[in-house]
Amino acid sequence: MKLLEIKSLNKSFNTKEILKDVNLSISSGKIVGLLGKNGAGKTTLIKLINDLLTPTSGEIIIKGNKVGVETKKVVSYLPERTYLNKQMKVSEVIEYFKDFYKDFDDEKAKKLLEDLDLDIEEHLTKMSKGMQEKVQLVLVMSRKADLYILDEPLGGVDPATRDYILDTILSNFNENASVIISTHLISDIERILDEVIFIDKGKIILQSDADKLRNKEKSSIDEIFRRMFKC
Amino acid sequence: MLNKLLKYDLKYMIKNMAIFYILSIFFSITTRILFNMEQSVIISIIGQISVGCMFSMIASTLINTMMRSWVRFRDSLYKDESYLTHTLPVTKNELYNSKFIQTLTFFFISFAVILISLFIAYYSNENWLAITNYIKTITTGLNMSTLFFVTIAIIIIFLEVFNAIQCGFLGIILGHKMNNGKTGYSVLFGFIIYLLAQSLILGLVFIYGIFDSTVMELFKTTTINIDVKAFKTLAIVSSLLYIIIIFTMSILCKKELSKGVNVE
Repeated sequence: MKLLEIKSLNKSFNTKEILKDVNLSISSGKIVGLLGKNGAGKTTLIKLINDLLTPTSGEIIIKGNKVGVETKKVVSYLPERTYLNKQMKVSEVIEYFKDFYKDFDDEKAKKLLEDLDLDIEEHLTKMSKGMQEKVQLVLVMSRKADLYILDEPLGGVDPATRDYILDTILSNFNENASVIISTHLISDIERILDEVIFIDKGKIILQSDADKLRNKEKSSIDEIFRRMFKC
Repeated sequence: MLNKLLKYDLKYMIKNMAIFYILSIFFSITTRILFNMEQSVIISIIGQISVGCMFSMIASTLINTMMRSWVRFRDSLYKDESYLTHTLPVTKNELYNSKFIQTLTFFFISFAVILISLFIAYYSNENWLAITNYIKTITTGLNMSTLFFVTIAIIIIFLEVFNAIQCGFLGIILGHKMNNGKTGYSVLFGFIIYLLAQSLILGLVFIYGIFDSTVMELFKTTTINIDVKAFKTLAIVSSLLYIIIIFTMSILCKKELSKGVNVE
């Protein structure tokens, strides 16, 4: 059974088609790069998988279930924006995650926060946006989920921290889980990718094993991306 | 999971409402103390300021309970926080129920705080006697017991508030189905739904009046000599209608939410 299956998925706002007949499947144990230019439909696709948008038509199946309560138990999602209640302290947010997600490991979260020099007794409102994003990443990666979906996890982060984040991702998900990383900072994540999905103008234009693609095109994913999406 | 959602919704509200409750009671205490002191011009002026502050805090308590319930509902289900709310392993029904119970709870608490504030500021045997006499005058005129009158008045006030809250929730849900101007549409739809709900209650009471001449008389008369039986019937019928409408709107809200959301 595939971990994630998307069949004939379409999403429109008014008459504007954002996603057009998207079909894809992702197996367990893969790190998948969802790559595309700005406005290609990456975030829309991710939001549909996470029940933040309602499909116009089509189907999304995660571990045999349609998007709903059961799929949310196994998907750990990091959005591109800060979504935590700013009135809360970090320790309260940890408690919140512990309350709602059975697979959340609070000890691991505290350890990761300590590594990042983040004070768990600090209010989120007193933290910079970058610090809040780090807290969110820690929370998301402290779950023992089957599918991690990370939307632009490196977006607002300095290059030094990017490596730490990638290492955190690599060392904190279990072997049977898959990770979907949406980004346009391809060179930064290339080294960790098993599979790539190229999306353009709402359509999946390529899904391939990363190594096979590199060998076939005799160039890096970053170069292939630049060639394919040259303006 | 409802209890967990409720725990965090109640925590949010208490964090935001506590200041109004504390200030309301604080100014009721200062009012009490100042009016019990030997009166001078200065004390009298400060006393009047204290009364003003107390009543503005009482008004803020009521307005904030309603506004913050709507804002919390919108922020939690459609703004940045919704990215967490909708990815929690809970049903849309549980999300809605939690928000509704939170609102009910805080209306009861706010109502209690207001009564406590007024009690602290103004309680005396003479004032109590004046209030009970006033109510007795009304109830004697209407030929009904004080208990019935006070109970039905409180029930109708609360039902009216819950109805307004539900109209707001439904307005927010429908407003956020639009592609643009979501906040504007939420207010507009909430207002229209409220007017429709009120018209519906009035219309149904009128239809009931066709079958009950004593109730129909209430539509025809402008005098204050209201038939007691008709008043009782009207109070009970309108309460039942409010409950039916609130229940129906609650189902509509849940049905619309379960169709899915489109978060920005």
